Amino acid sequence: MRTLEAFLLSGIAVRSILAAEAPRPRGVGPEFAKFYKSSDTFTCISSPSIHLPSARINDDFCDCPDGSDEPGTSACAHLSPLSPYTVGSTPIGDVNTTLALPGYYCKNKGHQPSYVPFTNVNDGVCDYQLCCDGSDEWAKVGGVKCEDKCKEIGKEWRKKDEQRQKSQSNAAKRRKELVAEAAKLRQEVEAKVLTLQTLIRGEELKVKGLEAALAEAERQERGRVVRKPGVGGKLSILAQLAKDRIEELRESLVEVRNQRDMGKARIAELEAILTTFKEEYNPNFNDEGVKRAVRSWEDYAARDKPAIGDDAKDRDLVEIAKPDSETGAIKWSEWDEPEEGDVDVLYKIEAYLPVPARDWIDQKLRDLRSFLIENGVLAPSMEASSSKEVEDARNALKAAQDSLSNNQKQLDESNDDLGKDYGVDDVFRALKGQCVSKDSGEYTYELCWLGETKQKSKKNSQQTTMGRFVSIDKVMVDDELPPDGKGLGSGERVALRYENGQHCWNGPNRSTFVVLACAETDEVWKITEEEKCVYRMEAGTPAVCGAAEKKTEKSKDEL
Amino acid sequence: MFCGQGWAQSLFASVLILCLLRPAVTVKHENFKTCEQSGFCKRNRAYADRAATLGQSWSSPYTLVSDSIKIKSGHVTGTVLKSLKGDTAESVRLPIKITFLQSGVARVTVDELKRQQKDIELRHGSSARKERYNEASLWALVAEDKPDTSANGESLNQETSVNYGPQNRYRAVINHKPFSINFFRDDELHVKLNSNGLLNMEHWRAKVDKAEQMEGEEPKGEGEDESTWWEETFGGNTDTKPKGPESVGMDITFPGYEYVYGIPGHASSLSLKQTRGGSGNYDQPYRLYNSDVFEYEMDSPMTLYGSIPFMQAHRGDSTVGVFWLNAAETWVDIVKRKVSSNPLSLGIGGTSDTETHWFSESGLLDVFVFLGPTPKDVIEQYSELTGYTQLPQQFAIGHHQCRWNYVSDEDVKDVDKKFDRADMPYDVIWLDIEYTDGKKYFTWDSHTFPDPLGMQKQLDDHERKLVIIIDPHIKNEDNYPVVSELKSKSLGIKDKNNNLFEGWCWPGSSHWIDCFNPAAIEWWKSLFAYKSFTGTAPNTFLWNDMNEPSVFNGPETTMPKDNIHYDNWEHRDLHNINGMTFVKATYDALIHRDSPVRRPFVLTRSYYAGSQRFGAMWTGDNLAQWSHLAASIPMILTHNIAGFPFSGADVGGFFGNPSPELLTRWYQAGAFYPFYRAHAHIDTRRREPYLLDDPYKEIITQALRLRYALLPAWYTAFHAASISGAPILQPHYYAHPSDEAGFALEDQFYVGSTGLLVKPVVTESAETVSIYLPPNELYYDYSTYSIHHGTGRTTTLAAPLSKIPILMQAGHIIPRKDRPRRSSGLMRYDPYTLLITLSPNATAEGTLYIDDGESYNYEEGAFIHRYFSFSENTLTSTDIDDAMQSNKGKKRRDYLNLMDQVRVEKIVVVGAPREWVGKKSVKVVEDGEERSVELGFTRGSGGRASWAVVRDPGVRVGRGWRVEF
Repeated sequence: MRTLEAFLLSGIAVRSILAAEAPRPRGVGPEFAKFYKSSDTFTCISSPSIHLPSARINDDFCDCPDGSDEPGTSACAHLSPLSPYTVGSTPIGDVNTTLALPGYYCKNKGHQPSYVPFTNVNDGVCDYQLCCDGSDEWAKVGGVKCEDKCKEIGKEWRKKDEQRQKSQSNAAKRRKELVAEAAKLRQEVEAKVLTLQTLIRGEELKVKGLEAALAEAERQERGRVVRKPGVGGKLSILAQLAKDRIEELRESLVEVRNQRDMGKARIAELEAILTTFKEEYNPNFNDEGVKRAVRSWEDYAARDKPAIGDDAKDRDLVEIAKPDSETGAIKWSEWDEPEEGDVDVLYKIEAYLPVPARDWIDQKLRDLRSFLIENGVLAPSMEASSSKEVEDARNALKAAQDSLSNNQKQLDESNDDLGKDYGVDDVFRALKGQCVSKDSGEYTYELCWLGETKQKSKKNSQQTTMGRFVSIDKVMVDDELPPDGKGLGSGERVALRYENGQHCWNGPNRSTFVVLACAETDEVWKITEEEKCVYRMEAGTPAVCGAAEKKTEKSKDEL
Repeated sequence: MFCGQGWAQSLFASVLILCLLRPAVTVKHENFKTCEQSGFCKRNRAYADRAATLGQSWSSPYTLVSDSIKIKSGHVTGTVLKSLKGDTAESVRLPIKITFLQSGVARVTVDELKRQQKDIELRHGSSARKERYNEASLWALVAEDKPDTSANGESLNQETSVNYGPQNRYRAVINHKPFSINFFRDDELHVKLNSNGLLNMEHWRAKVDKAEQMEGEEPKGEGEDESTWWEETFGGNTDTKPKGPESVGMDITFPGYEYVYGIPGHASSLSLKQTRGGSGNYDQPYRLYNSDVFEYEMDSPMTLYGSIPFMQAHRGDSTVGVFWLNAAETWVDIVKRKVSSNPLSLGIGGTSDTETHWFSESGLLDVFVFLGPTPKDVIEQYSELTGYTQLPQQFAIGHHQCRWNYVSDEDVKDVDKKFDRADMPYDVIWLDIEYTDGKKYFTWDSHTFPDPLGMQKQLDDHERKLVIIIDPHIKNEDNYPVVSELKSKSLGIKDKNNNLFEGWCWPGSSHWIDCFNPAAIEWWKSLFAYKSFTGTAPNTFLWNDMNEPSVFNGPETTMPKDNIHYDNWEHRDLHNINGMTFVKATYDALIHRDSPVRRPFVLTRSYYAGSQRFGAMWTGDNLAQWSHLAASIPMILTHNIAGFPFSGADVGGFFGNPSPELLTRWYQAGAFYPFYRAHAHIDTRRREPYLLDDPYKEIITQALRLRYALLPAWYTAFHAASISGAPILQPHYYAHPSDEAGFALEDQFYVGSTGLLVKPVVTESAETVSIYLPPNELYYDYSTYSIHHGTGRTTTLAAPLSKIPILMQAGHIIPRKDRPRRSSGLMRYDPYTLLITLSPNATAEGTLYIDDGESYNYEEGAFIHRYFSFSENTLTSTDIDDAMQSNKGKKRRDYLNLMDQVRVEKIVVVGAPREWVGKKSVKVVEDGEERSVELGFTRGSGGRASWAVVRDPGVRVGRGWRVEF
């Protein structure tokens, strides 16, 4: 691919080489040959009003405002908005001075022709990467000799190109597999959705039934009044229990308060130490640990402190912690007497009636009570334990509801999943959960597709999360493609955003921007920390091969 | 802003508040001494105060014994007696030597006999040397200049008078009692030594136990406060002062002079301020005590990383100077007094005297007096004494890209490629401390830099260089051969008990190499051999940082003063020279490394008078703030007039993240720093210029290309500095020494002798700048050729972000190379453009120096040095070094042959006379051959000058020729 690719010539241009009989001036590409045909005058390409004698072509002096008279030298290399402006640096007044030619044309026989920037012409360096025939150094400045290496470079390139193409076709194949895999995974999810929907419908009915059953059981239960064995002193037992419990709580409160006071004193001491440390540490040491400690302390100190030791609250606490006495908040003795409830009164009347009447009354009372309760006249009796029937009904309903909500949740998730962006052709669905890693310096970096990015120390087992997947994105890149093709190259690329990783001292939460290019296998090529705790990964994966082009046709297929 | 106590306290308070919000961004004042906290500073100021209080009744207790005076072959020698009041009857004998050098410089050296003869006892059983330190000149001076044997003097009536200097224009009048010296030039008094009687040599005395002295009782003897004589504690470190009080001080007055400059390095104005309080003045003396000052503050006399105790006094049409050769901690008080020549004139026509008061903690009194009369003369004389700026390699004046840190060799290669892709030229990429294995110098981190040679190969492909950092602290760790050797060969600095000193720096526990030791330098040289320091290549160069030395746990972040160096000198005596010895060792090591030898490049943070011989300096760890950009200009100008022109400030600011606008303006200003390096702290965001968006990126590229286009002019200016000490950036007073209105100007400057007048934009959102133009001068705008007449007032120039305000003083010829390349090395054979700015009487002149930019072959004549002049419608190129013509050595012949392919491709004449309107050609005469060459004329309009272009005269840059218009 290389940068060459950008300059590869079209078939039309190649044909025009054959057509042009007269030799072109040095550095002129075939597509510009037509401007250089005249043997005695030359017309500046972008300024047709300027005519020069042909001898001024490539005479190493810049005459045309667009540089077109110097296709084979660096004389017009300064014509660029990147150069400092002076009125005298352009040959004629205030004319548009955009270079008319893309660069110096290297024929590169035995390889592919390409353009070299004019700034690189005759600078004493053989720019073989662009100009394998060495013709960019035709003036041999300083005695430099750039021999023609097109034969070997071309051979090497074709070999690489073959490999690359093979690799690309492998990558394309692999992508197909991934897409198929993704489709399968999607189908699975879709199938699951259908299953869940059916299940849920059934469960909804079941829940409804169980609800009704429970309601009936409860109705029954509410009406049943069974005199439980036991003394009338239920309340006094409770009171005694409460008293014991409160005493116990009071004691532990006092204990906890003592511990708190000790803790408070220690925090104060520690804060004093840290305050001094913060003021006195030498930032020149640049000890990461110290800096982190200072930073954390600053964060800590800046936070709103919970009010420990509010005086008023403390006084309340003292009051609360006093043991209860006759004059205290609760007079436990008052609670020693047994007490009669509404039901007890009923039972007392009942005792004077014959058994059948008693049963009848009992039934009637039960109905009445149920009626009253159901109509909100009487409060239902809050019993600690209900009967087995109610319990069973309740459990059955709970189980059914849980199952329903669980399935509902799964359904929602699956629906979400189906709606989520997994990239073109859903391809990342096939990669989700898989990870690739790369050693770089003292760390191993891990990229988990649509998961997390991590930095793992080789020295210890420390792991740092560099971000969690957020979205699939696009980004324009402009890099030189290395010969092995393992690089981003130029153009629009798929990128994955990972954000909200571990917080960075004196910086943001870590984040990673993963830029992807087509490759045969999943691999991380490069990790850079672009700025503090903002990472950029460059990675290859077949998942993004030819992604852009296939988008439309694939979606048609699916339709 | 100055360091009042109350002010300082409120500063601390605000710092504390700031600290809760973000990392500290201001200097820690409590880490550095005020004068009151430095015993001898306090004592000498008190001495001055006493003298001032007594006024006329104050009399200096120093007398030159008339009988002792001997005058011979350019020397005056004798004995000065310091009479002691009170109980001691005896007086202190101080041998004095006054030398009149052939260069016209007078040197006054005073020693103390008892110490000189080692007739003293040191306390605490110290092994330190007993003499006053007398070796500063070995390091600072290039050679003891020869005495001027034609100097003649005579003693008469308690006065000795010596005529000396060129045509005996100078006269030194030595008063015997009290001792003082007045220096005259052409019978006019210019410099007075000890005229205020502040000469103070604290003689040796045994510590007298004053236990019997009752509390509240006045101290006996001279009534001096002895509290700081025997021990001083600061910041938890105690200085045991085994030699007792030893300070040396004196007043130096410049009568009739209102402006003084020099004594870098401080973040202060070019024109030095008064230091004894009052509105707009400092209340602390300028301090010279090389220190690692973290996040230093602006507009302060506080000490910084380096010290050059050289000061110039200037007034209309006269400049004089003094050089206080002392390597110990030094402070300088400055007071300017308005004196009215006529009491009735009510200030009109009144002049100012500038009274300076210098004092150092120990060592000799050793003062050099320069009598000018121009700033150029004074700087030349000073430079002749301390050595000229090294002629750097060509790459060193290109654009440097640094960051703490480029994290791996891949990172470096990537940055390198990205500069090319962005069409931004650069020459050098730098590695800060993280390239090492655990901060062990001479090692590489094998994880991050597995292939340093591969990395350097890629850089070398485009003639680019790598600079790596090596600091003087050597990690104290087992299995590190460098520290093992340092220990076994005993080449480190010792503590007061004569054990190897151990302190804390980047690597943690460390030792410091003692480069005062010749054996240490030899050893240091061996460490840089390619086979020893693997992973380095011929395009690897060096950066010496932290050489004040910075010791994190030491007093004032440096070394305890009672540490012991080679030959048993105390650290106190030579502290300010320490940094220079380390750079010199590295410089020597690089000379030693390459065969054939090439010019070393070493950047240093710490420096002293003489450091200019070894490389470049930068202003240390600045901040990414507009104020720091603004301050960089006077700081660099001060270094330029103090003999150390190869200076720069971190472009972008070291700490913090500059806005794109600030970064852009900084690249524009930096394009005119002699040393042009972008640098950034590890906590900052990446800011390589190609990362910016347009228009910033495009504008920065223009600034970089402008620097490269003007490299021929820069290199010529560096060459001038290397043979004469001439400033590379010239402040206004230097260029226009009689234009009083511009003596305090510090934000505009000329580049060498090109006449390029630059006023960098250093404020946010600027659309214009005001530039001062001296009367009767004509200027053309660099990019538009618009005409500006100097009137002695400021004029407004447009300065949108895209524009660096640059004017061209009429009358100059500027060599330029207009073809943009990837690095300076790739411009070597490119043709030149000559830019001629015609004066109103249609004349101009300029010079061009070229050599291979790398080797020492220029010493054998392998260079081109041309003088261009334009007059009577003819441009002529002549050889400057006619003497060298006779040098027909092979290296010269080869070089000239090689360079014969290089031509002048274009001559641009700005301010072309109107008569040229119809002119179509000019006559070129080269090697006796004539040819006609096309001329294009463009008539100026709208305030623009007319200009003409000679199209490809084709003349060889190395040959003699003329162009007739």
